[in-house]
Amino acid sequence: MQFSFTSEQEEFRSILRRFLEAKSPATAVRRLMETETGWDRTAWHDLNQQLGLTAVHIPEDYGGQGFSFVELGIVLEEMGRALLCAPYFASTALAATAILNAGTEAQKREWLPQIANGSCIATLAFTEPNGRWDTSGVEMTAISSDGRFRLDGVKSFVLDGHTADLIVVLARRPGSTGNDSLSFFTVPGNASGLARRPLQVLDPTRKQARLEFRSVEADLLGEEGAAAAPFAKTMTQAAACLANEMVGGAERLRQSALDYATLRVQFGRTIASFQSMKHKQADMLVDVELAKSAAYAAASAAAEDNADLPAIASLAKAAASEAYMQTAISTIQIHGGIGFTWDNDTHLWFKRAKSSEVFLGDPAWHRELIMRAWNV
Amino acid sequence: MKILVPVKRVVDYNVKVRVKADGTGVETAGVKMSMNPFDEIAIEEAVRLKEKGVATEIVAISIGVAACSETIRTALAMGADRGVLVETDMAVEPIAVAKMLKALVEKEQPQLVILGKQAIDDDMSATGQMLAALLGWPQGTFASKVAVENGGITVTREVDGGLETVALTLPAVVTTDLRLNEPRYASLPNIRKARKKPIETMKPADLGVDPTPRLTVLRVTEPPKRRAGQKVGSVAELVMKLRTEAKVI
Repeated sequence: MQFSFTSEQEEFRSILRRFLEAKSPATAVRRLMETETGWDRTAWHDLNQQLGLTAVHIPEDYGGQGFSFVELGIVLEEMGRALLCAPYFASTALAATAILNAGTEAQKREWLPQIANGSCIATLAFTEPNGRWDTSGVEMTAISSDGRFRLDGVKSFVLDGHTADLIVVLARRPGSTGNDSLSFFTVPGNASGLARRPLQVLDPTRKQARLEFRSVEADLLGEEGAAAAPFAKTMTQAAACLANEMVGGAERLRQSALDYATLRVQFGRTIASFQSMKHKQADMLVDVELAKSAAYAAASAAAEDNADLPAIASLAKAAASEAYMQTAISTIQIHGGIGFTWDNDTHLWFKRAKSSEVFLGDPAWHRELIMRAWNV
Repeated sequence: MKILVPVKRVVDYNVKVRVKADGTGVETAGVKMSMNPFDEIAIEEAVRLKEKGVATEIVAISIGVAACSETIRTALAMGADRGVLVETDMAVEPIAVAKMLKALVEKEQPQLVILGKQAIDDDMSATGQMLAALLGWPQGTFASKVAVENGGITVTREVDGGLETVALTLPAVVTTDLRLNEPRYASLPNIRKARKKPIETMKPADLGVDPTPRLTVLRVTEPPKRRAGQKVGSVAELVMKLRTEAKVI
């Protein structure tokens, strides 16, 4: 298999990197992570008006730019590198993808243009306090009455759930356990009976929320009882997206560790010249490059809607999780004493590495999914 | 109104340049290249004039190696309509560039030429002025504000004493300063559209210009390394060191 980015994609990456370096320096990350919302509307407006990033993978028929998961992967990789504080992953990678996979034509035409132009910030609420990433963890119920649905239950670890305008919710018929009773619903962020509370999480650069639904009126998204397949597809696509975002962060850390090692002088020479440092840098490079290859392969498979996507996406997520985490640990070690101080920026990426390692399932879970995909 | 915007391919402003081992110039092999930042401002200003309905066509011009077409593509992605590449492997100097631009101006018949005030590689700050002189056109250099009105153009210039505003008749040459505008970032659809916009390629000879360099670079050296600072214990010690060691007072 041969994969490489086109010159057009490389140019886009270069422009995007420059844009994010200007709009999301570490000072902006530190400022936004201290706020309850976790992002700012002006930066979000620039993101959408200047580059139309929320529209990248949404088809042109629904107000998007009509590019693929490869281009979305580039966006996410650069955002991961810049540690952008914005509801991009929630709105674009999760919610828009779920609507594309599950929504009816009319629903896609209603919601996707708003998400594409950034006026509607959406999220996907599928996890619950039990912390499971698959459908067996879904306990929220949807009760149907006169063609209307009401949701009861709690969703947790919902990305940007406390600020989203639209929440795509996964729920099941009361008393059911199987996949054939799962449905997607849409709920406005200000719906009556919905209580939203931001969670105190490890990674302050990516906010999560707990959402309590008490008889909240909801609109069915797609077909009733048919959400299992589009949900599974959304999760594999999201895993591919997250892997790309993670390798961007890992690459940034690797580079910062190298920069520091070539700058810091000890015993009359830069610490990069010491053999143990060279070994560490070499290991980091191998880890990150392997994870990048897996992430790019997953984005490419998602773009082609390849039948092997579930296995490739899980492989990429597992590889990126381990590479990002290990790179973060090594970066702190290479920085020495200053590496774990608040003033040094490494801890920002370290926390994102940890939260991303767990989000959508840890490496062990994804290796299990690879085995399932291969029928092992 | 047609606007010509020359754009130069230079070492990216983020790159820390290194002098070649033989001291003949700066290392460019394997180094990231991009559009001169002042030229980005020039393109942005032209695109804004087009968006206001003042300009009808923007032509981006680059002179240099074949890879300069990438720089033109960037200009096209920002909003220029078509490009012209004058291809040469020689290191062209401002006078040669100005002569080639003059020939292109005579061919294209624009009302306005907007250039960056200088390129960040050689910092000559000469091409715009030379072009205006060769054409016999008025020039507004180091522009921080541009307004096309009543058949002329008003240019606010950043000078040492503050701001100077000059009114020029058209056609004219304007060079851009840093604060004129903030260049836009090209979106992915515009990058794709730019691939379909035409770029005409020609040689300096087609314009009747001999680009052979007239200047000889004797030697290029790294700036001297900064020495470590010293901490002083008192103002008196500082004054003493400035007087006896630094010998500046």
